[in-house]
Amino acid sequence: MKALRFGSDGEPAIRRHPAMVSRPVNYTANVSSLRRWTSICLVLLGASVSPGVAQQQEASLPQIVSAELALPELAAEVLVAQQRRVEAMRKASMATVGVFGLDSQGGGSGVCISPDGYVLTNFHVSSPFGHRMRCGMNDGKMYEAVVAGIDPTGDLAVLKMFGRDDFPTATMGDSDQIRVGQWCFAAGNPFVLATNLQPTVTYGLISGVRRYQYPSGTILEYSDCIQTDASINPGNSGGPLFNADGELIGINGRCSFEKRGRVNVGVGYAISIKQAMNFYGNLRSGRIVDHATLGFTVATDNQGRVVVSNILESSDAYRRGLRYGDEVLRLGDRDIATANQLKNVLGIFPDYWRVALRYRNEQGVQEAAIRLQSLHQPGELEKIVEGSSEQGAKKAGDTKPAVSKDALADRYESRRGFGNYYFNRLELERIVKLQESRKPSLATSAADDSVQIRIVGSVLGESTSVEARFDLEKIHWTLGDKTTSVPIKGNWGTWIKNQEPMPIAMAMRLWYQWHEQGPRKLGQVIYIGQSPVLGKQGLLDMTRIVLGEVTAEVYTSVASGDIELIELFTDRQTDPAEVYFDYDAASALAPMPSRVRLQYGLESRLVVDLGKLDTLPVVKTEGVPGVQP
Amino acid sequence: MIDRALSLARLIAAILIVLVFEDPGIFAEDKPRSDVPLGQGSLSGLEELFQSAQRSVVKLYGAGGMRGLESYQSGVVIGDGNTILTSWSTVLDVDKVRVVTYDGRRLDAEVVGVDPECELALLRVENSKLPGFVLEASYQVRPGQRVFSITNLFGIAAGNEACSYQKGVVMAVSDLQSKYTGLRSVYRGKVIVVDVMTNNPGAAGGALVDLGGRLVGVIGKELRDEQSGIWLNYSIPADVAAASVDRILAGKTRSAGASLTMAKNPHKALDLGMVLIPNVIPKTPVYIDRIRKDSLANRAGIQANDLVLLVNDQRVDSQKSFEQILQTIERGDSFQLLLQRGTELLRVQIRP
Repeated sequence: MKALRFGSDGEPAIRRHPAMVSRPVNYTANVSSLRRWTSICLVLLGASVSPGVAQQQEASLPQIVSAELALPELAAEVLVAQQRRVEAMRKASMATVGVFGLDSQGGGSGVCISPDGYVLTNFHVSSPFGHRMRCGMNDGKMYEAVVAGIDPTGDLAVLKMFGRDDFPTATMGDSDQIRVGQWCFAAGNPFVLATNLQPTVTYGLISGVRRYQYPSGTILEYSDCIQTDASINPGNSGGPLFNADGELIGINGRCSFEKRGRVNVGVGYAISIKQAMNFYGNLRSGRIVDHATLGFTVATDNQGRVVVSNILESSDAYRRGLRYGDEVLRLGDRDIATANQLKNVLGIFPDYWRVALRYRNEQGVQEAAIRLQSLHQPGELEKIVEGSSEQGAKKAGDTKPAVSKDALADRYESRRGFGNYYFNRLELERIVKLQESRKPSLATSAADDSVQIRIVGSVLGESTSVEARFDLEKIHWTLGDKTTSVPIKGNWGTWIKNQEPMPIAMAMRLWYQWHEQGPRKLGQVIYIGQSPVLGKQGLLDMTRIVLGEVTAEVYTSVASGDIELIELFTDRQTDPAEVYFDYDAASALAPMPSRVRLQYGLESRLVVDLGKLDTLPVVKTEGVPGVQP
Repeated sequence: MIDRALSLARLIAAILIVLVFEDPGIFAEDKPRSDVPLGQGSLSGLEELFQSAQRSVVKLYGAGGMRGLESYQSGVVIGDGNTILTSWSTVLDVDKVRVVTYDGRRLDAEVVGVDPECELALLRVENSKLPGFVLEASYQVRPGQRVFSITNLFGIAAGNEACSYQKGVVMAVSDLQSKYTGLRSVYRGKVIVVDVMTNNPGAAGGALVDLGGRLVGVIGKELRDEQSGIWLNYSIPADVAAASVDRILAGKTRSAGASLTMAKNPHKALDLGMVLIPNVIPKTPVYIDRIRKDSLANRAGIQANDLVLLVNDQRVDSQKSFEQILQTIERGDSFQLLLQRGTELLRVQIRP
C-alpha cells in the first residue's frame, strides 16, 4: 500500500481515522490526580476479584505446582535464564532516569549515556519543563539538570545532569541487529509511579522493526522506529528500550492509542538508538537541531520501481547527476524497494550530513554522496519550540523558582536557535583545548603585522611549486609562476563559484589561524555537532564559521583535534570548495598536514604536498591589486 | 571474580544453545547477538516462528474509513494458500477485497461466503503462491499456554512490511455468554481469552499461533464490556473456525448447485412491507428503514433497523443481491430470513 503513505499529492490515499495516529505519551498531570487515578484502578482491580474466581484459583494451584515438579531439569535452566534477565535488568535500571519538573510534578523518563551525566530523552518530555528539570536515578537521589540540545522533529532531547562525574551509563546496543521476535524490555517511570525513583521494568517482544509513524501534528515524526508489546505507558516517554542482554536499543516515546484511553494497548514505539546517536553529537551542541530533506521526491512507477518524481535543480543530488525518472536503489546502508522506505531511512539522518546514494540511470548504476538539506526553513523550528515551551510554562504555572536563585543559572544561556547556548560554548571550549595542543611552531603569531606566514609546497607528481602567503590584509597564492592575491575581507565567493584553485590558500590560512588563534577569533562561530566525512572513520566535530559572504565548515578529529576537512560555501546552491588535509605522523612537518587536496563536486582539482611553514617580512606593495610584483 | 564471571558466561552460553535447539519456547532467551545483518544468519526460535508464520497472514483493505470504522483488517491464509479466513465485517462490503501479502503483492479477493454466527468470512484469491496455515480442529490451547498474535493492528504495516507480533498467555477458554454480561457480541461461542491487548483496530481476522507455529485461533473483532468498560482480547478457536469454514463451504456448494430460476411472480421487498435505507452505494447493506403496518414483514416480527443477512441461507451482501434472491422466490412461497438486531441474530419466517 504505497499510496497509503506517499501519495503523489503527499496525502495518504486511504485516510486513517484521525484518532488512530499514534501519539507521544507525555505525562504532565499533577501527581495528586495521578494518585487518585491509580487508586481508582486499584479499586477496580480489587472489585473484579470475586469470591468465585478466588476459589477457582485455589483449586487450580496444586496443578501448576505439580507441572513444575514434573520438569526438574528445565527448572534449572529457567533459573539461569531468569538470573540472566534479572542481572540485565538490574544493570539497565541503574542508567535509567526519571525526569521531573522543579516542583517534582509531572514527569517522564530518560537514560544516562555518559559518566558526566548526559541524558537522552524525548523532546516532548523536556519541553514542558523549559530548560530546567530534575533527574531521579536508581540510587534514590535527585540530580539537578538542564536541557542541552533539542530535536523537535525527531522528538529527542539531551539533558545534562550535574553532581557526579561517575553516573552509571547504559551499554550501547546495535538497533540495526534487532529482529522481530526478540525479547526486549523497557525501563522508566510510567504513571510517575516511581516515588522511590526506581524504574518500572516491562518485558516484551520486538513486534516490528523499521516502522514509520506519521508526525503527530506538524512535527514529532518517528522514522525507522522499533515497535514493541512491552508495556509503554504515559511516563515511559524518553525512557530506554533494552534488548534481552540489557543493551540500549531505543528511546521509547509513542504508543498507538485509539478509543481505549491513554494506556498501553500492546503497541509502543521507540526511536532507534542508531538514529538517537546520529543526532547525539548535534544535540550536545545545545542547538535546536533539524532533520533532512533530499531535494527530490520519489514515487513508485507501474513496474514497482522507486523513481525520482520531482527534483530541485538547486539540490546537491541534482548536481551529482540525479535526474527525473532515475531509479533510486539505496540510501545510506539501506536498500530502497518502496517510496515509503526512502522516507523512513531519511528520517534517521541530521541535516548537513553527506549520505551515500545509489541510483540507476540510462548509463547504469551510479554512486554518489549527497548533502542533505535542512527540512525546515530558518526560524521555523524556533517558532514551534517557542509555542511548545509557552504551553509548558502555562502548565508549570507560578511554581517555577526565580532564575536568580537557581544553582544552575550559569549553566543556561538563552539564544535564538538554541535549546541552551551554554553547551555550544562548552563544546567550543573542548575544540579549543584540542586545537591548542596542535599549535604550529612558529616564532611569531598571526597578529604580528610585520611578518607574512608562508606555506610552501609542490603539486603532487609535478615540479610545479606552490606557495600560500598571508598577512593581516591579503592572501597571496602562487601556483607555478602565476601569483594572485585576495583581500582577507574580500569577495571570496567568486573564486569558489568559478572553482578556482585559490580557495586552497584560503583554507590553509584558516587552518593556520584555527591552530594559532583558536576558532573563536575567526568570525561568527557555531559548533554544529558531529558529522561523517567521506573516507574518514566515525564522526568528526563540525564547526561553522561565517567569514563575510563565505561560510566555512571545519571538520576536526574528535580524538586529536586535527582539521580533516574545510568546506567553503558561497551558498547552498553551489558546490563548496572542499579542502582535505592529510597528516603523516612520521613527517618532519607534524603536527602540520603533509598533504592538502582541493575538490569541487566529484572532481579533485589540486593536490599539494606541503614542504615547509615559515615567515617572511611583509612587503608593502602599491601595485595593482591582485598581482604581486 | 573474573573467573567466576567467565565460567558463568560459559554456563549461560551452553544453556542458551540447549534452549535454542531444544525448545523454541517460553524460555528461549535470545542467543548472544551475532554480527549478521537483518534477515541473514540463524534466527532464534521465536524469530523463526514469526518469520515462517507471518507469511500466512495478509493485510486486507476494503470499505470503511469513517465514523470509527476502519477500512482495513487482517486475514489468515489457510489450506491451499488461495483461501483466506477473516472476520466478517463492513470492511468486506466491497466488490473486491484488496489483499496485500507478506511480500508486498496486491491481490484481489472475492468473498466466497460468510458465517453470521461466528462472524467469519472466507475469501478466495487466485494463484496466491502463499503458504497456508493448516486449519485443524485438534490444535487447541489451554489456560497458561504461551501464544502469539500476528496481525496488522492499527494498519501499522503497509506493502511488504511485516505484520505486528505480540506475545501472550491464554487466560481462559470459555463461552462468551454475552447475554449475561455487558459484552455485546453476535458471536457467543467458545473463545480463547489472552492476557494482552491483541484485539486492536485492524487486528480482527489475524492469527493466534502456539509455540509450534500452529494456528490455534483467529483474532476476533474488538469487543468492549459495556458494564465494566473493559476490552476483551479473544480469538475464535481453531475447532470453531474449522467447523465454520465447513459450513460456509457447504452453503456455497448448495447455492451454487441450486439453479436460480426466476420466479414467475416473485416477492418484492416493498410488497412485503419492508422499506430499506436508501440504496446509495453498490453494496448498500439491507438495513430496514421502517416496516409497513399490516404487512407480511410486520407479521413476521421484522423491525426497523434490522439487518438482513441471509435469505434461505443464501448470503445477502447488498440490496441488489437481496432483490435478486427475492426474484427467485414465488410470491406464494414462504421463506426464511436471518436478521441481525443489535447484537442478536434471529431467524424469521415470512408466510404469505
